[in-house]
Amino acid sequence: MSDRRSSSYALAYWALRALPHLLLLLALLPVWELAVSTGFITSILVPPPSEIIASIWELYVLDGTIYPHFLITLTETVAGFAIGAAVAITLAVCSALSETFKRYVSPYAIVLNVTPGIALTPVVIAWFGYGMGSKVALAAIISFFPIFVNALTGLLQVDRDSEEMFRSLGASDRQAFLKLRVPASLPLVFAGLKIGLTTALIGAVVAEFAQATAGVGVLMNRFSFQLDMGSSIATLLSMTLIGLLLFYAMEFLDDRVVFWRREGRRSVVSRARARRWAAKFGGHESPETEAASSK
Amino acid sequence: MPAADADRGDRRSGLGLQQRRALNHAAIFLTIVGLWELGSRMGWLDPLFYPRPSNILRSFWLIYIENGNIWPEIYSTASLVLSGFVAGSVLGVSLGALVGLNGMVRRFVKPYVIVLEATPRIAVAPLLIAALGFGASSKIAIIMLVCFFPPFINTLSGVVNVDEQRLELFRSLGASKLQLMRKLVLPDALPVIMAGERLAMTSALSGALVAEFIQRDQGLGALIMTYTRNLNMASSFACIFTLTILGFLIFRFMEWLDRRIAFWNSEEGLQRVGARRRKRMEGLA
Repeated sequence: MSDRRSSSYALAYWALRALPHLLLLLALLPVWELAVSTGFITSILVPPPSEIIASIWELYVLDGTIYPHFLITLTETVAGFAIGAAVAITLAVCSALSETFKRYVSPYAIVLNVTPGIALTPVVIAWFGYGMGSKVALAAIISFFPIFVNALTGLLQVDRDSEEMFRSLGASDRQAFLKLRVPASLPLVFAGLKIGLTTALIGAVVAEFAQATAGVGVLMNRFSFQLDMGSSIATLLSMTLIGLLLFYAMEFLDDRVVFWRREGRRSVVSRARARRWAAKFGGHESPETEAASSK
Repeated sequence: MPAADADRGDRRSGLGLQQRRALNHAAIFLTIVGLWELGSRMGWLDPLFYPRPSNILRSFWLIYIENGNIWPEIYSTASLVLSGFVAGSVLGVSLGALVGLNGMVRRFVKPYVIVLEATPRIAVAPLLIAALGFGASSKIAIIMLVCFFPPFINTLSGVVNVDEQRLELFRSLGASKLQLMRKLVLPDALPVIMAGERLAMTSALSGALVAEFIQRDQGLGALIMTYTRNLNMASSFACIFTLTILGFLIFRFMEWLDRRIAFWNSEEGLQRVGARRRKRMEGLA
């Protein structure tokens, strides 16, 4: 009831906020179009908006040529990211648990960091072939380091007071790790994962530039070399779309997993927990007050 | 605690902790390299694709000293990176300050910044090459583009996130706009800006490589491409390790620059500059 009303308010609020932006864009487009058609800007450098819109229409609606490529690049990015993240987090957890492991692994991680991962593109293509494998591999290599560093930093920064409390309450090492260190590290881990996602996308696209048969990178290369700038920019837009899609998916996950950082989510989760608790053990008439008093 | 155990163990043995660790590092490294070499010689790893360490070393000798053909490529890549970085980051910082200091402009620019941030910048490379043609100009344009964003965004947020209370103090003491910029906004924002510059510098190298991969005319990227095409993997690994060294030098240089410019961000820098200033003050007195 009140929820629906507040959401419609929010919608109206957003529309009101977005209106000036849209107006500005609408005012800029004809100026841009005019500047190109009068030869003020060369159309090879910056294509007129009409051409871009026509290309978008053609690529996305009329022919739909972009979709298979879009899906391929998306798959490569996600697969590479998943592998890179899995390896990075495993190594970070091992490094956090064992001082010795950290000492002997970190030099290699640092070497990997200062080497521009993109330099490996030709080598990775020689190793894994022209297909999706090489793109996944490059995405994984490139996304590894930011995730590793963030996860390790997160796992190593422990609040001294909380740790002392855990110890004094007789928590085991395992409990202290799982219930204290891991949750405390999660915000940083997610920050790393977000960076990793964008770098994974770069890795996949660059590998496609170098050598590939399908993917948005290939499409981009082809259109650019045909000097079809409108289609190039339309293709670039799909990369932006992948980037935004992945970023917001991760943001959503971040919000769900690290629920305690935002007040709204925290109260929702703690209320749900209190209700579950009450259903299980009974006896407490009001889970709401229970949640409130426990906070 | 494992670290404490290690300490005690080391005190009993004759060697110092540092030496023992260095020894362990060397042992691990040599074992990996040895296994690799052995694996290649025994035929477990195809030397065509996974070059032997000994061959990589020989390639180093070849491309650096005997043929010396890597030097012009290093020079070409490094000069591109440097010019693109300077141009891109100067543009980034100045535009970032311009946008950040004006609330109106900031509001209207923000959506575009979000969209552009999600776009992989390097992906614009083919477009720029098509627009500007083959050669140095399109390469520099790519590096500029890659170097533009981190300083731009960091400057923007650094300028915006000025401490409210200090701002109030400055205002109530009647600071002029120039004083506000010079004594409050700039010192507050510089560490963040420098972090952006460091990010830009690392991506500059990547940008240069991508441009060279696509153009395949000169530079380290083109060299790696050519060597890999000819399945001369040992040489392409020598080039990649060269990039590692280059990347390390760049990293160190940026760190040094950071300490020089934003000295108040580290204890050591504060003391160094503080002592110098104190001496100057004493000279005046």
